[in-house]
Amino acid sequence: MKNKRLAIVLDTRRCIDCKACTVACKAENRVPLGRNNYRNWVDEEALRGAYPNLGQSFTPSQCQHCANPPCAHVCPTHATEVNPDGIVHVVDKKCIGCKYCQTACPYNARYYNEEIGAVDKCTFCAHRVYEGRLPACVETCPTKVRVFGDINDPNSEVSRLLAKYPSRVLKPAQGTKPHLFYLI
Amino acid sequence: MLAILKHRPSSRLWFSLLGIGMIVGAIGVVNVLLKGHGHVYNVSREIPWGILISTYVFLVVSSTGLCLISSLGHVFGIEKFEFFGKRAILLAILTLLCGFGTIAMELNHPLRMALYAVISPNFTSAIWWMGTLYGLYLVLLCGEFYFLMKGMHKGAFTMGMLGFIAAVSAHSNLGAVFGLLEARPYWYGPFLPLYFILSALVSGGAIISLLVYFHHKESGELMPQRYGEFMDTLGRLQALFLMILIFFVIWKIIPGLYGRPPEKYEATMAVLFGPLAFNFWFFEVLIGMLIPVTLLLNRRTRTPLGVMYAGLLSTFGIFFMRYDLVVAGQLVSMREGAADLVGGLLHYAPSLTEVAIVVGAISLCLFLYTLAEHLLPLREEEH
Ligand code: SF4
Ligand code: SF4
Repeated sequence: MKNKRLAIVLDTRRCIDCKACTVACKAENRVPLGRNNYRNWVDEEALRGAYPNLGQSFTPSQCQHCANPPCAHVCPTHATEVNPDGIVHVVDKKCIGCKYCQTACPYNARYYNEEIGAVDKCTFCAHRVYEGRLPACVETCPTKVRVFGDINDPNSEVSRLLAKYPSRVLKPAQGTKPHLFYLI
Repeated sequence: MLAILKHRPSSRLWFSLLGIGMIVGAIGVVNVLLKGHGHVYNVSREIPWGILISTYVFLVVSSTGLCLISSLGHVFGIEKFEFFGKRAILLAILTLLCGFGTIAMELNHPLRMALYAVISPNFTSAIWWMGTLYGLYLVLLCGEFYFLMKGMHKGAFTMGMLGFIAAVSAHSNLGAVFGLLEARPYWYGPFLPLYFILSALVSGGAIISLLVYFHHKESGELMPQRYGEFMDTLGRLQALFLMILIFFVIWKIIPGLYGRPPEKYEATMAVLFGPLAFNFWFFEVLIGMLIPVTLLLNRRTRTPLGVMYAGLLSTFGIFFMRYDLVVAGQLVSMREGAADLVGGLLHYAPSLTEVAIVVGAISLCLFLYTLAEHLLPLREEEH
């Protein structure tokens, strides 16, 4: 997918911590059971305010498909690769299981999948995307927190959202140039 | 082998201990092969590198240290340091190989590595360079050992020189494996490559004091004056290395506290007052540095026996130093909302299988060395 730059824009104010994304992802990508194994997750921010006026936000997250991905720089065998459209993925058979990418990723986006014998992580559901479908987490989210698309296309919904609302990325100081954008 | 066992009850005990250690290690290895890493290791998604990685670091640092200290003899021409050259290089080869074995148990696909490191190399990866440089270093060590055994001084000098350069490159690069990770502020920066080289000298010196001492103890003869003098020189040198190491340790801590740099501060506190504090203060500081330096600085305790004790204690201390370094760098969660943190930190303690493999690797290394000591003509030529 040339000339594309795929990204997800998240409106976290809509997130109700239902974890449908995590479940859909696990099912779609055959992520094994076990506490270490997941490709995406929902972090709970601290409670705000005092009883009875309380508020809480949630931050769903996953691999950030960094434009400057440390995981790919450190991988000794090029098992971690970046597609022209920005999708960062792992070539299973090249992965030697050194877990260097796991120590290099500032987002803890990776885990070792014993079943496939390689490090695994979110691929934006590349297998679906290349068939013209949406990533499973995006499709399943009941409150439409997540919008997926090409930020190189000015008419895409992600581009329109980013133009309209201010946004932030996680850990910008790491210089990884993440492509998950959180509306603020 | 049988003859060795018949003559010396102490070697019988030594070999049985190592035998038990190797059996324990073998059980660990079989356990992993049958059940898989995920079931028998305590490393996790958040802390992917555990005691096997730190033991690997420990073993290859020992190798580098042995190579560096022994090159003082046959490369830099300090005569006092020449007589143990063969032994040091042999042990450098064995510690390196056992180090490779340990990391192979941590990698999920050591065999794939050999293939894809060659056909799909990534030159920006410090782990790729680690494999390549240590491979080269191993070849040079073997060459050096061969020439030393054949008494070919010129060849040994050339190989020793190249080996010295390879040892410094490979080992500083090992520091870079950690030091290049911007995501891990406790490791990040040029400090680790430098510190790794220095601490290799301490390791090397410590192990050589053990080699020389036990070799003589075991020969049953009185220690010749030449050896006594050597131990004295080595002791002074070791005191110097240890003091520089203490200096490095202090300067590792201060920037971790000053201004509370995010993540680096939490990791430093974990070492000073948190889950790694006992390892740090007791093993690293007291056993590894303060007692040895006291023994070595005091002329009355700088006897061959005292230098040997100092070396033994530092070797223990350095093992913990590696462990604490590897673990501390990963204790701070990469995610603010991560679950199951203990006191704001992630948690790791090695599993029985991990410990078994460590015991096995170290026993195997000592076993091969002792065997070689009996089978190969390592005795130095008298000048
Ligand atoms: S989030 Fe982590 S795994 Fe994903 S591209 Fe960035 S560094 Fe790599
Ligand atoms: S674990 Fe696999 S994908 Fe990660 S750095 Fe090592 S070889 Fe590359």
